[in-house]
Amino acid sequence: MSLSGFLVQRWPEIVELTLQHVALVVVSVGTAVALAVPLGLAITRIRWLDRPLLGFAGAVQTVPSLALFGLLLPLPLIGGLGNRTAIVAMILYALLPILRNTVTGVRAVDPAVLDAADGMGMTDWQRLTLVEVPLALPTIFAGIRIAAVVGVGLVTIAAAVGAGGLGSFIFRGLAMLDTRLLLIGAVPSALLALVADGILAFVERRLLTATAVGAETS
Amino acid sequence: MSGAAISFRRVGKTFGGRPALDDVSFEVEPGETCVLLGPSGGGKTTLLRLVNRLVRPDSGSVLFAGRDVAGWDPVDLRRRIGYAIQSVGLLPHFSVEANVSLVPRLLGWRPDRRRARAAEMLRLVGLDPEEFGARRPSQLSGGQRQRVGVARALAADPEALLLDEPFGAVDPIARRRLQDEFRELAARLEKTVLFVTHDVREAFRIADRIAVVAGGALQQIAEPGRLRAAPATPLVEALLEGAPGEVSR
Repeated sequence: MSLSGFLVQRWPEIVELTLQHVALVVVSVGTAVALAVPLGLAITRIRWLDRPLLGFAGAVQTVPSLALFGLLLPLPLIGGLGNRTAIVAMILYALLPILRNTVTGVRAVDPAVLDAADGMGMTDWQRLTLVEVPLALPTIFAGIRIAAVVGVGLVTIAAAVGAGGLGSFIFRGLAMLDTRLLLIGAVPSALLALVADGILAFVERRLLTATAVGAETS
Repeated sequence: MSGAAISFRRVGKTFGGRPALDDVSFEVEPGETCVLLGPSGGGKTTLLRLVNRLVRPDSGSVLFAGRDVAGWDPVDLRRRIGYAIQSVGLLPHFSVEANVSLVPRLLGWRPDRRRARAAEMLRLVGLDPEEFGARRPSQLSGGQRQRVGVARALAADPEALLLDEPFGAVDPIARRRLQDEFRELAARLEKTVLFVTHDVREAFRIADRIAVVAGGALQQIAEPGRLRAAPATPLVEALLEGAPGEVSR
């Protein structure tokens, strides 16, 4: 069978698995953002949270992904074959870059700017929302972009625990020694990583414009 | 209660075991420009920051408008006191106009009133609001930034101004001009000003009274002429060495 014939034949499945793949990334990275950004901001306010939270996120990161999926499988509620295990594992992986970049970004804000913000009489909340988060945004977004790009790759491995996604092609290709199957899993996955990064870069630019305060557009 | 704008009463402060201030007492009168003069690390900035509670004293008390600042809500206190520092600390993601109208915004002024106030303040410090209002701080020269910093400190019409080397980061010529303009402005606005500098010439140029602070202690507080005529301690004398004999104001 020709390659184009193969593509045509497999097209519906490619589309379905790609959508599955995207859904897994969006859900897991989205959840990780919703968890890690507030936690990161909390760390900048409550110093003792630093070590336990970053330590935990860092420790998770050292577990090989396949092993982490395997470790989660037998757990009640979280585990089991299917995408739940995969999503939990991916959230755990995505925590570290987002958490760390949120903390780093906020801590890197120029102390003179913070001193002025305090001296002007900002409340802690105003300082956080008007000054620290907007100025840390590029760093926070760098973390989210890393998490998303890594996440796209990670989902391919999640197919091992039955989560679906483009990894299904790759594992099948490996098992059947079929390069074409491998490629229709790997190539779209790589493209997805690039697209995800591009979309997030766009969102970042929009957010930066939105948080900048012009001549009284506030 | 005294009629002083700011009173330091037997203030002591240590940072990490190192004494920064030891038993400092003096008062700043309403409407006067009081310059805290002395070498770096002598305690001037700490004194300044005690007033708007960016630093808390270990002992003694600081009074603003007759009330102990310790009993004051810090946010409320700071919005009533203008504050400008050498590194300026303009918000880089805010336009010049948004920076200047920051405290009015925090105080909940309406946008049109804020805009009018920002324009007024920019003109006051010699910047054309049309030309500079929409710019970012990164698009300004060092001198312009410091002007904006002073405009921001003045914007909510505070009762007092705390200025920490506000002209520290500009070249000598621009600095001289800023000092002259500030002198005029302070006289016109009748604000109580506490002004930190390590520059003896600057102190003599703008001060109604100079408080010499060194080694965490108040060495002397006096009018510039008296200070020159009768330095109270060897430290004051040493500091004034090389100071101008007569300063044109």
